[in-house]
This record gives sequence, structure tokens and C-alpha cells, in this order.
Amino acid sequence: MRTRTLAGGAVAAIALLALTGCTGASGPAPAATSEEVSPGFLAVADASAPAGGELVVQVDYDTAEAGGLDPQSAATARSWMLEGLVYETLTTIDENLAVAPGLATSWETPSDTEYVFTLADDAVFSNGRAMTAADVVGSLQRLRDTPVTWTGQLGPISSIEATGDREVTVTLSEPYTPFLAALANTPAAILPIAEMEAGTVDIATEMLGTGPLVASAHRQDEQWTFVPNEHHPDAATLGFSTLTVDIVGDEATRAAALRDGSADLAVLNSTDSASLLAGAADVRVATQRNTDFHYLMINSIGGDPALADEKVRFAVNEAIDREAINALVFGGSTAVTGVTPAGLPDACDPSGLASSMRDVAAAKSAIDAVGGLDLNLLVYTDEPVLAQIAQVIQQNLAEIGVKVSIEQVDYATYSGKVYADPSDFDLALSWFAGYADPAMVTTWWNPSLAGFSSVYMTGSPELNAAIAAGASTPAGSDRAAALAEVCDLADQQSEMVPLVLRPSTIGWNTAELSPTLAADEGYGNVLRHITEFRVG
Amino acid sequence: MTVVLWSIRRVLAALATLVGVSVLIFASVRLMPGDYTDLVLGPLATEAQRAQAVAASGLDLPLPEQYFRWIGGVLTGDLGYSFVSNVSVTDEFAARLPVTATIAAITVVVTLLVGIPLGFVSALRAEGSAGAAGRFVSALGISVPEFLLAGLLVFAVSTLGLGISVGQYSSFAEDPARFFGALVLPIVVLSVGCVAVVARNTRDAVLNVLIDPHVNASVARGETPMFIVRHHVLRNAAVPILTIVGALVAVLLGGTVIVEFVFNVPGMGSYLQTALGRRDYGIIQTAVLLAAAVFIITALVVDLVSNAIDPRLRLTGGSRR
Repeated sequence: MRTRTLAGGAVAAIALLALTGCTGASGPAPAATSEEVSPGFLAVADASAPAGGELVVQVDYDTAEAGGLDPQSAATARSWMLEGLVYETLTTIDENLAVAPGLATSWETPSDTEYVFTLADDAVFSNGRAMTAADVVGSLQRLRDTPVTWTGQLGPISSIEATGDREVTVTLSEPYTPFLAALANTPAAILPIAEMEAGTVDIATEMLGTGPLVASAHRQDEQWTFVPNEHHPDAATLGFSTLTVDIVGDEATRAAALRDGSADLAVLNSTDSASLLAGAADVRVATQRNTDFHYLMINSIGGDPALADEKVRFAVNEAIDREAINALVFGGSTAVTGVTPAGLPDACDPSGLASSMRDVAAAKSAIDAVGGLDLNLLVYTDEPVLAQIAQVIQQNLAEIGVKVSIEQVDYATYSGKVYADPSDFDLALSWFAGYADPAMVTTWWNPSLAGFSSVYMTGSPELNAAIAAGASTPAGSDRAAALAEVCDLADQQSEMVPLVLRPSTIGWNTAELSPTLAADEGYGNVLRHITEFRVG
Repeated sequence: MTVVLWSIRRVLAALATLVGVSVLIFASVRLMPGDYTDLVLGPLATEAQRAQAVAASGLDLPLPEQYFRWIGGVLTGDLGYSFVSNVSVTDEFAARLPVTATIAAITVVVTLLVGIPLGFVSALRAEGSAGAAGRFVSALGISVPEFLLAGLLVFAVSTLGLGISVGQYSSFAEDPARFFGALVLPIVVLSVGCVAVVARNTRDAVLNVLIDPHVNASVARGETPMFIVRHHVLRNAAVPILTIVGALVAVLLGGTVIVEFVFNVPGMGSYLQTALGRRDYGIIQTAVLLAAAVFIITALVVDLVSNAIDPRLRLTGGSRR
């Protein structure tokens, strides 16, 4: 075993030295850039660049939901992105994460519970049938009547009616500020209701939308092929002839594809990929800010008995140096956050939270009072950055007398330990999608609404009330105050502890591709501006 | 014991092993931590959604019934559907099995064509530079893990611009050249280890025969080295070499999981890995059972062929000494 390891290491070292020498890279490798080339954009497609080639994108995993390709059951960011190529929503978000017109060209709000949408008159499904108000009503009604994850995010809808040929009115039972932002994500896509009711389309196995592309071929976990939807308004100006999305699980293989030019764009996960690609010609790597964020679960129900004490949990929370996580794990490219994703309008200021004081002496005193702690910290291997965050936390907690053993398992094992009843962990790391409105993700701090968190956190009526107030208060200073209250209470209770935003790393081949990439993203959709991409 | 009776007993033993293995596989998969419904539905799913998914996949049935449903389906050619993608497992296997079989078959051929001669030369020239070179090459090949060599090759070919792209797979029907081109690197990685193992074992087998008394007697009779190799060494070294080649099938089955993932080749290995990650029980069970069947059948064939080469084996239960 020792011989095998030594020999392997020697060969690796020799080969790496030789290969590094060939790349011409020298000195410290630059991190991925997050510099904007124009306000809100990491890259803007050059309209004069050659166009019409085949666009090849590599991503890390495929869609895989029990509902197949039905966008309403899409629960992962990758599903939102892939299905979002074919489907469109009433609203969308722009580069500033502000709600913008989508299939609804405009809307009015006669009251704080009433939304009147005017529908686009040029929206056509890829089978050639024009979208109608009935499609919009049917799609939203279906989402409302069939509870899936996104149903809750859509808010308290009381009625959905066609109030004109090209007009739909949605009435809420109470004010819900995130409503327009919730309409902007793929699960709220407008479906071909007429075909579904006629039984001519099974949207679990076939995608039929008004979006710019049509899926012409798919092999699960292998490859997608998309062609232009000739009925889409952007069809004539699309900058590529076909889009191939390869599912490539190995990060190094995706980086290699960028290096040798066989991929035009790749989604990367490892923060080290930018350094590894630093010497590659014609490859640019950028960091897209996301509203997603990493958080630490402190199991107050099934974990170490001492964790049932709020003071102990807060001590753990207080000892964590979030800036160190940002610096050491993300090279300073991300930001510390509270429950509401940092950077969104009305989000709370994480530097104002009590835990940000990092009173290590006080934290140590709380831990000493229970005679020290020996905790396990669970992470899953699919997301390598979690192990790196875990190491920083391990060192932070050692300062206050908490000994942490890091346990790395595959995601299935992780979910079995974290979400099963009873749960089986002390500390665990994960991440939440942050969406595009600061009130949306706060819901997950209410165990009775979230469900999944009820096995490891108790929450409180006070926090639940603050979450509800944050969602119903109109945007502005009042909402900022309401959301600050949510952040403060969650910070004090320390059951789910937000850490830092979770950025996306995107690499592309500058010789072949001129893309448009927003600097900020709320729904994990790297390809949001694909209709502007140009491929030579 | 007659050859026929001995062979029938061997076949029956192989079938019994296969049945036992199927039970073990089923039980092992059910004992894996984590649940596919957690992965497919996510933590945000409702209890109703979870119950619906469990019922749809038959996981709410008693375990014996689940087992007999599965094994009955396998025996009748109905491999079912992926719990995750709802894709027919038969279709997936039909598309992916030829890929892995091609990799394995070419690797075996390369291994036999390179490993056995290398082992022979290494043994017959044990004291010379050729012997030393053979020992060095086989030690190196055995020492380098597949994942490391694969990673280095991915980096090398993408950095040095050798005209080879990683992950540019195409089916044989669509583009035969691209199909074989995509398999070159996986075959190279797997062959390195297999050639090294076979060369090393061939060398040891030949050296063992060379010190046998009958070889000494042959030398004493003044027979030429080539005559001795042809008439004494080849036949007697064949059985251990054959045994190790048979065992390599198991190595290959494990190795393809790694190389197919790293080189993005859509074969059975990468399919199994994805299924394992998602706890897609039906696929895992059937793929592992298939792999076990290949291994058991290979071992059976090796036994039968070894018996044909050296009939003493059926008298000693397979042991030569």
C-alpha cells in the first residue's frame, strides 16, 4: 500500500511538474474574476462576433425529479436552467435581480392583493399554437392545486381568472410581496394547457414551451440537444444553430474540455478551477454572484443534548469567523450573509447581527459551562467546498473548546442522517437557494412551513410571525426593518446559521464564444441570457 | 469423476453462487443509508409526495415480494424502469453495455498481447536488463492507481494539444471513428494496470515452472531452451496465467466505473455510479448482478478450460499441488 502510494505520488509529481512547465503559467494563479464589463454583467456578447455555430455547454449533473421534465416539479437549479431554455414565465429577473416583464409585458396592482397581467401577443408554443390566457390560468391553477415546493413560494393565491383575451388577474388572500419574483422561476412556467388537457402532450416526458429553444434529443445523465424554436421572437437573431448540453460529472474533465476547446462554456464547482485554468489560452473564468448561501445546521432536537440550549448554540454561531470562510475558502470573492441574501434590496446587514461581534471569550465561557463539547460536523462529498468550510469552522470552534470531527458522506447518506426522523447529526453544512426576493428563503426558518427542518429545529412563534411579516410588508424601509427582525431572531436562536453567499464559477472559451452573463443570479440560471450568445 | 459430471457440478455451483449473490446484492442495496425519494424529491417534498413516490416504485411492498418481483423481472427480461428518470433500464443497458464491453474486450486483448510476452521475457531474461525492465514496468503499472493515471491523462491531452479531446463520445452507429477515439484513453488507463498484473504473474508462473524437476531433467537431457519453453513451460504456466486473466475481469468491472466517469464515456460503469449516487435500486441491483454473472461465468470458463489443459485439477478440487 505504501509502495503503491509513494510510486503513484512520484509519478503524479513528475507528470504535474512537466505539464505545468508546458503551460507557461508562472507565479500565483489569478482567481476567477468577478469584474463587471458593463453594469450588472460579467460579459456582454459582441453583436458583431461570428454567429451560427454549434454551442456546447458542459454542466455537472442532469435534471432528475420524480415528476420527470414537468417544470412545476423542478426542484434543483440545474433543472430550472435546462427546463428554462424551453419554458418561459410571466415575469423574469434582470441583471440587477429586479423583476422584469416576461410573457406578461406589463402588470398593474389595483390593490396590494390584486395583480392584473397583460400578456404578450407574440408568445407561441414550439408546436405553432399561440399562447392564450387559458394557458396562463391553467398553469398557475395547476401549480396552486398540486402542492410542490414552489407552490408555497407562490404565496396565498385565492383566485386566478382570465379577465380578457390577453389579460389575467390573480388575487391573493393577503399581501405577499415576493409574488412577482416567485413567478419568475421555471416552476411557474406557462404550460401548453390545451395540449395537456387533450392528452396530446405528456409534459413529464416531453417539453413544449414558448421559450427560445426546443429539446430535440435527450439521454438522461449524458446529453441534451436543443434547436431554436422557430416561433420565438428571438429565433431570427439567435447566435447559434444548436445547443448541446453535455452532462459531465468530473470537474477536471469539464476544465479539460474548456482547455482543449471541445466545450464553449462550462459550469465549474471547485474554487480551484480558476487557478488550474489560469494558463489555458482563450479560457476565461468568472465568478457569478448568487443569492444562494451556505448555512450551518445546529441540531437542537436530535444532536448533542447541550445543543438544545440556545446559549450553547449561539456560542457556536458566534465563534464562526465568516470573513475567514470568505477569505480562505472563496478567495474573498463572496460575501457574508444573514437569512436574507446579502445584496438583495431590503436584506438585513449581516454586520449588524449579534453573532458578528465574535466575542470568543463569551462563547468559550458558554461552552465551558457545559464542560466542553465534542461534536460531529456532517458534509456531503458532491460539494467539495463544504469540506473546506467545515475545516474553517472546525478551527474556529476549537478556540472555544468545541472539538469537531468532520464526517464526509455521499448525499444519500447525508440526507438520511439530516432529514430523517429522528435526525442523526450535531452540526451539518448545506446551502439554500436564495431566490430573487429577500423574503422567499426566510420561509425555511419556519419548521411548520418547511417541514424538512422540523426534525432538527424547533423555531419559535415569534420568528414565524416575523417571517410572515417580512413576506407581507411592501418593499421599502418597513420591509427592511421587518426582515432585520427575522435575521436577528434567527441569529439568536442559532438553529440554522447563514454563513456566506455561494457563488457560481463559469468558464468559457473566448475564441469561440461571446456570451452575455449577468454578474448576479437568483435562480442558478447561468444561461439566462442565452439568446444573446454568439458562437463562431 | 468424469469430465461431464465434473463440469455439471461446476455449472450448478456457479448457478447456486449466482442465486446467493442476487440475495446479497438485494439485501446490501436495501441496507445502504439514504433513500432515493430523499434525493429525487428533495427535503422540501411533502409526505404525500414521498408516499406517492414510494408506492409508485413498489418500495412499500414486503421485502421478499420486492426481491421476487425484481429477480422474476430479470429472468424474464423485464429490467423495469429507473426510479429516477423513468427510462427503461433495458434500453439504457442496451445502449451502454456495448460501450463497456468494447472497452473490456480491447483491454483484455491488449493485456494478453502485451502482458504475457512481457512476463515471459521478464522470466526468461530474469537476470538481464530485459528482466529488470519488465519488473520495473510491471511494478510501475501496478503502483499507479487508475484514478490518478486517468486524471493525469485528462490534464495532459487537454494541455499538450495532442489532437485528442476528452469526453467527445459518439455512438458507434453515429460515428465509428469517434466512438473508438473516445475509448482510447479509458483503454490505455485500464490496460496499464492489467498488463502489469498479468506480466508480473506470468513471470512468476514461468519462474515456478523453470525450477520444476522435470525442467531440470529436460535441461540435463540437453534439450534446447526453445524446446523446453514450448513443451514444458508454456503448458504448465498456462493455468495460473489463465486464472489471473479471469480474475482481471473483476478488476476491469471495477475499473470501468472510474475511467468511464473521468473520461465521460456513457457505459455501464458511469451508469452504475450515477445510480449509486441516487440510490436507484433497480439499476444498482441489476447492474451489479450482471457484473457478478460475468465474473462467475468467466471463472467457470476458466475452470473448464484449465481442466482441459490440466486434467489433474478436477481430482484436486482445483489445486495443482
